[in-house]
Amino acid sequence: MTLLIVVLIVLLLPFVLLVLMKAVPFEYNARSLVVRKVTTLATALGIALVVFVFAGALMLGDISRVLAAAGRDDTVIIMRKGSDSELTGAIANEHLGLFRGPAQVSQAGGVIGEIVVVVIADHADGSGSSNVLVRGTPPEGIAFRPEIKIISGRAPRPGTNEAIVGTAIAGRFKGLSAGQSLDLRRNRPLIVVGEFSAGGASYESEVWGDLDYIRNALGRQAIVSSARVRLNHPEDFDAYRQAIETDKRYSMKVMRESDYFEKQSAQTATFLKVMGLIIAVLFSLAAMIGAAITMNGAVAHRSREIGTLRALGFSRLAILTSFLAEAIVLAVIGGVIGSALVLVLSVFVSFPIINFQTFSEIVFRFHATPAVFAKALVFSGGMGLIGGLVPAIRASRVSPIEAMRG
Amino acid sequence: MNVTTYPSRNLFRRRGRTILTIIAVMLAVLIFCAIRTFIVAFNAQADDAAADRIATRHKVSITMQLPKHYIDDLREVPGVKAATWANWFAAKDPKERIPFFAGFAVDHNSWFDVEDDMQVSPEMLAAWKQTANGAILGDSLAKTFNLQVGSDVVITSDIYPGEWQFKVVGIYTPLRKTVDRNIFLFRWDFLNNDPRTVYSKEHIGWMVSRITDSIHSADISKRIDQKFDLQDDQTMTVSERAFALGFVGGLAAVLKALNVVSLVILLIVTLILANTVSMSVRERTHEYGVLRAIGFPPGQVRNFILGESLLIALAGGVAGVGLVELVINHALGPMMEANMSGVFQHFFTPRWVLAEALAAAAALGLVAGGLPARFASRLKITDALRRVD
Repeated sequence: MTLLIVVLIVLLLPFVLLVLMKAVPFEYNARSLVVRKVTTLATALGIALVVFVFAGALMLGDISRVLAAAGRDDTVIIMRKGSDSELTGAIANEHLGLFRGPAQVSQAGGVIGEIVVVVIADHADGSGSSNVLVRGTPPEGIAFRPEIKIISGRAPRPGTNEAIVGTAIAGRFKGLSAGQSLDLRRNRPLIVVGEFSAGGASYESEVWGDLDYIRNALGRQAIVSSARVRLNHPEDFDAYRQAIETDKRYSMKVMRESDYFEKQSAQTATFLKVMGLIIAVLFSLAAMIGAAITMNGAVAHRSREIGTLRALGFSRLAILTSFLAEAIVLAVIGGVIGSALVLVLSVFVSFPIINFQTFSEIVFRFHATPAVFAKALVFSGGMGLIGGLVPAIRASRVSPIEAMRG
Repeated sequence: MNVTTYPSRNLFRRRGRTILTIIAVMLAVLIFCAIRTFIVAFNAQADDAAADRIATRHKVSITMQLPKHYIDDLREVPGVKAATWANWFAAKDPKERIPFFAGFAVDHNSWFDVEDDMQVSPEMLAAWKQTANGAILGDSLAKTFNLQVGSDVVITSDIYPGEWQFKVVGIYTPLRKTVDRNIFLFRWDFLNNDPRTVYSKEHIGWMVSRITDSIHSADISKRIDQKFDLQDDQTMTVSERAFALGFVGGLAAVLKALNVVSLVILLIVTLILANTVSMSVRERTHEYGVLRAIGFPPGQVRNFILGESLLIALAGGVAGVGLVELVINHALGPMMEANMSGVFQHFFTPRWVLAEALAAAAALGLVAGGLPARFASRLKITDALRRVD
């Protein structure tokens, strides 16, 4: 964030100088850009593509925060010590009651235990198959999470083989649309009766069914994968954690639900962030060369004009800022076009990626926040500044006498 | 003067611009090859999987296990020459020296008969049979953990609680480039006899079979699945390639996006090159008028410009390919293989990617030169001569 502000200030500097000192009017640069419209457009388009890739990488790297949307501060998740994910957890049934013991537990919300399993499913479009996370939840499991909304069909009846599917994966897989079914085991189907949303959280990439039905189908009657506990206040976390983790009857790990979700996708997010960063840096090098070529051409082409300006009394600094401002504006035009492309991406494209912790697929919607656009525009301006620096210095060194002699 | 002298001389008229453009193309070729290499390396293990090995897993979920007796039934299926099994241990290094490595509990009597591209000495195998908590690990993992034969090592698991003590009885070396050198193997019976295995006693994760002939692998796979079709736990038998892809499968979209990104960089550099060529053409409009006036046909003028564009693109392409060979195949690749062999067993830009990059450079040279060339060849001589800038 601080970096963003520093770069922004540096970018604005030429414009402030333009206003403050007796400088070349910016109209001169604007008209130059319009006159050379083919060159301007080619360069701006190149920068637009770089900005597009940059913003895409930025949004992908943000996956942790988007997917952690469901995590609540007043909810803890309990797993067996050593487990990093619900998938590999195992908690004996009788422990669930004990988790309710400490005074910090909300009487209204209480405790739920769930079973989590990944199931292979074929893509509806025939392009192979992926793992889908199936969650067996008790009857109160849906009410436990107020953000869950049934958006079509109906809620499953407790104790039956009915299930609901998250909106992010509904229709993406064979068997995962209302009225269809998915076999958990021979003659043990889950029948989809509705579709739900969860405010963009990773729950939207899951299938939810009845805890006991799914446990029985999998032959895991006596255990749950994880437990969730609603606390009275978020501040009660430390006390509750202390109470459970030090209890010798079980060896458990207590995490805030929000931390858990963030950690879940941390590996995927790091992978995407590092990859995105490398690509953005390399791409921006290409774009900066593009900007440098264009500005170099502009300087060479207009050396006579520059000489005239110098002869009229404009200082070297005035010429320098003038060309820098032109380069920045040229690049920001690209940034604006790139941002428009980003908007299209965020509206029309959803992106399936793997959660390395559960080997299952999460469908991710690009989330174009104002911060993404701000970063994209500042990034484009920065490319213009760096790319335009050498040509602008060259321009400021044009000797008026030689230039006008032609 | 012929078709090549004029374009090649032209390259030196705006030396700075030509060099910058060549660098841009070079950079694009480098990025293009790096991304392609990444994709190839990610799929390498699957692409290189032995054709005569098939894997049998639970039909519904990789987290569900199969009853132990399935292995005996499997071995009776005609066409199966040898079979072994393994359990996923979700191994973790308590000291966190390596973010991820595969830990398998395997049948010590049959594992290396089937996975014959992992090489161990007969002495190591004999020692393994003697040592209940014996472990054999990949040479790269042994290096990371600084372990020799005879060392003790403690591993934890995401599935099974507590610490697990092993004695290293062997280190395997790969017989093929794409064999994972970071696998930690220990005896399945050791896992099964431990009281902590309460939920998976007498169960196995997946089975691998060597088959008599790889042409009939689909038939043999079908026969295996039919054998278990009426059981509670049905199976899914696929080639080892598909089995490996199952793990990479979730990244398919990322790889696809990368593929698109590698084309975007070509588009960007096409724009840069087109800009360079059109700037030059604009500056030399007058000159083209003169060329036309002294009798050069429009087609010739067009070829001059296309040739110039192509020369810049190819110069950048060749420089880029050289850079790829140097940076990826001689510096970055060996480094990745040494440090990330769990993910990339073989990080190398294959010849066909280099050829693809050169072809792409040539194509973008022609595309970028196309519009300016058309413009110049269609100029009226009088208009062109009138232009002075």
